[in-house]
Amino acid sequence: MATPINILEETGWIDFNRQQKQSGAQLLALTAFRDRQIRSHWLEADGHVVSATFLFEGEHFPSLSPHLPEVAWDEREIHDLFGYIPVNHPDLRALIRTPRWPTHFHPLAADLPRTPVWEDAEPDNPAREVEGEGVTIMKVGPTHAGIIESGHFVFSIMGENVLHMDLHLFQNHRGVEAALQGLDLSLVPPLVSRICGADTVSHQANWAMAAEQLAGHQPSETLVHQRVLLLESERVLSHLNDLAQIPAGVGFQVANQRALAMKETWQRGLFSLFGHRLLFDTITPGWTATAPMADLITLIDDLNQTWRGWRTFVEGHHGFQDRMRDTGTVKRTDADRLGAQGVAGRASGLAFDARSLSPWYHDLAIHTSLDAHGDVAARFRVRLDEVEESWRLLRKLATKLSQESAQDAEWQPPQDLCGETVAFTESPHGLNVHVVGLENGKVTRYHIRPATFRNWPVLALAVSGTAVGDFPLINKSFELCYSCNDR
Amino acid sequence: MKQAQKSLQFRHLDAGSCNGCEQELNALTSRFYDIQQQGIDIVASPRHADALVVTGPVTDTMSRPLSKVWEAVPGPKLLIALGDCAAGCGVFQTAYASHGGVAGALQEPDVVIRGCPPTPQDILDQLLRITAAKDPGPKV
Repeated sequence: MATPINILEETGWIDFNRQQKQSGAQLLALTAFRDRQIRSHWLEADGHVVSATFLFEGEHFPSLSPHLPEVAWDEREIHDLFGYIPVNHPDLRALIRTPRWPTHFHPLAADLPRTPVWEDAEPDNPAREVEGEGVTIMKVGPTHAGIIESGHFVFSIMGENVLHMDLHLFQNHRGVEAALQGLDLSLVPPLVSRICGADTVSHQANWAMAAEQLAGHQPSETLVHQRVLLLESERVLSHLNDLAQIPAGVGFQVANQRALAMKETWQRGLFSLFGHRLLFDTITPGWTATAPMADLITLIDDLNQTWRGWRTFVEGHHGFQDRMRDTGTVKRTDADRLGAQGVAGRASGLAFDARSLSPWYHDLAIHTSLDAHGDVAARFRVRLDEVEESWRLLRKLATKLSQESAQDAEWQPPQDLCGETVAFTESPHGLNVHVVGLENGKVTRYHIRPATFRNWPVLALAVSGTAVGDFPLINKSFELCYSCNDR
Repeated sequence: MKQAQKSLQFRHLDAGSCNGCEQELNALTSRFYDIQQQGIDIVASPRHADALVVTGPVTDTMSRPLSKVWEAVPGPKLLIALGDCAAGCGVFQTAYASHGGVAGALQEPDVVIRGCPPTPQDILDQLLRITAAKDPGPKV
């Protein structure tokens, strides 16, 4: 488990975190606590987790953002939700709070967060816009013309070139972390399962992993295989969705419809196998939904036929390939600096995939798909390869599981479970981390750090300098969820 | 082919959904459900809509945009709460920034489609029930 270090002075805090980044460790989370503590968790290259804590009095703590740009949003979130002030933060505008929040309302600063009396104001925060002759401001959202989640983007454009895109998200902020706080651990699973409709298995797996780690319970090999099977099934589902949306971003309806049909076939298969089309409520501590393995293999075989034809079709379509190539490029150095996750990182040449460091995958050699181009085409291609890799893993797991007959004895976490831990999985969108604190069987802190939270600023960078008409395509190539970002 | 006599054009608004309802709503446009053939379609502007489909428990930040979009839909109009969150019985009902569904934030919805999320077939069945009950209006 995490090796803890306590730090009380400013330079030590900054140096520790900067050195971790320089050594190639992966930031898992930067988490604030009510008793004036900020904790960082890092995943080192050998899979070891280290953590450091900055303890302070008063309201101020030294900002890491000038040295570690990837935590700029984390510190803004801490400022909004706890009221702690990161000193020397380069851009401390409101991230989540709106003018409707009462001045001293910091929901997570309270043991039991309550709904305030909202101010009678519009929920809009001021946008950062480019000023000058010929610059036009184009506002999009928060409501959209299609079926998508809510989010607000303020583009500064000149001609058709985007100079800057200012992100105003968190319209979907319900207060999920606060809703979990104070809950009895038996009530946690349905909430965790609904943090995000696209990464639900990953969130469920994190909670199960956290509770089992704290209880010192080792799930059997069979149970772990069943969970990996669900995680990979979710990856296929999410990637099929994204692979359908990318062609839709350029009006390539045939490719969109054919991929949507594959997604629907996969969802119907998941429903008949696991009882839910999006795999909600399939993992809890000590338990995982199971299914007949022969049916899963038949489903993959059938879909693979359609898949091959579709892949050949989209890869051979020069018009589509041309539109994706050199569009929305993210350089490797920028991806690294901003901590890009998942497909967005791997398509820019960052080799990180949390699966390769996860003990759950230790007996499954993962082939990591990489592309150095960093454009839409790279993000599209990495997903193509990852679907096939997931199918390979699923076949392997199905074979293993059909030979394993041992069932886990029923296990529930003890009612008085205590402690704090960090759990992570590679969701379809990338590294997904939960920091969980329990006291006497009740949640005292639940911090959720999904991959999309890191990737939104990367998207903003990918869009700047491109033609505004390419935004739908670039946006779809990231296909970031709003729900687990906003929480 | 049977011609669609009664149509329903709806606008969707996400007010804090987990993206589950959106995915299932999107599936309606695939060839498996093909809602256009049933006279149902999704429109880009509330001005063109007969109904507003709301998902999510209505976050505080989305409560005003929701009222504005609802005002922009010309009458007669239907308010549809899609999924348990919008219906007021979701898991994030009591979260501090949630208004507890469409009824708590705006007004009682005319139609409630339960489920977490409801399957595309459930959604389609409910929408077809609306179009079947709809007064087609005077013949021109």
